[in-house]
Amino acid sequence: MTATTLATTAHTASTGVLREIYERMLERPLPPTYRPAHGGAPGIVVAHSLDPLLIPKVFGTSSTLNGAGPLAWPERELINATTSRLNQCLY
Amino acid sequence: MDPRAVATRWPEPRLRVLAELATTVTEAPWRLGPAVRTRAAEAGIDDDTLIHGVALSAFFGHLNRVADAVGMPLDYDVRYPAPHAVPSTPRYELAPAGTDANVGELALGRRPATAAALEVWRAYVLERDAPLPRAERDAIVARVNSHLGGPPGPAGEPLFAELADTVALAPWALGPEAFAPLRAGGADDALLFDVCTVASTANMLRRIAVALAALGR
Repeated sequence: MTATTLATTAHTASTGVLREIYERMLERPLPPTYRPAHGGAPGIVVAHSLDPLLIPKVFGTSSTLNGAGPLAWPERELINATTSRLNQCLY
Repeated sequence: MDPRAVATRWPEPRLRVLAELATTVTEAPWRLGPAVRTRAAEAGIDDDTLIHGVALSAFFGHLNRVADAVGMPLDYDVRYPAPHAVPSTPRYELAPAGTDANVGELALGRRPATAAALEVWRAYVLERDAPLPRAERDAIVARVNSHLGGPPGPAGEPLFAELADTVALAPWALGPEAFAPLRAGGADDALLFDVCTVASTANMLRRIAVALAALGR
């Protein structure tokens, strides 16, 4: 029995539909601070790689929440950080 | 920093209310109520901002659950690493039976782009037959909803009840130990991820519906 979390597929190892979706995600407008230094798809996108078709649904929703007000960017980060801390998540 | 300290003691009322909103959506959304809405209004936070905050917190809760399920590494260095999760932390509370959802003055429809995007997401995750069969999918949704004050689900436990409960109520316990017995029973990672996203999607949508109903009472 392998004691690991669920598997993901890195951008560099991706093929087919997943690769296309990763590439599309990189074309999204994103503040530079959210762009990973490694140049690939952000980790939270890769985290959904077991279900590639879910990725545009989740990050399409994200665009409606993070790309628009009325909450200002620092206020959105406060909401996100509060939620993560309570859920005891590193992200 | 302890988010509850921000929610109760931060000097700026607007940030205090926003932290309170995220804390309550995450832990017990039915506890939101007219008093929070009044405090928000006094801090200059209108209903559309509350709706934004509720949806954002519930959405980020989904990202937390998926990140934990796959053990996501961070893309960046952090100066102050988050404390390790404590798997034995007691689960989030269950809502009282009959908790309102999708009623009241505050509705996600006031944020139409978000409502439409969430509906596309909901239909994709909850209305298909593979890898998790549709009946099992429905049973997980009913179970998660019942934890958050919805009607009881069908008799009997869904196949993946324990994992669904961990996703919804104890995301900090999502890790290898949560998956090991199911893998031993033959479940592969695609199926287990499907279970996680069904439970997480149901949890997110229900927290939004309960929070908005509570605020709009």
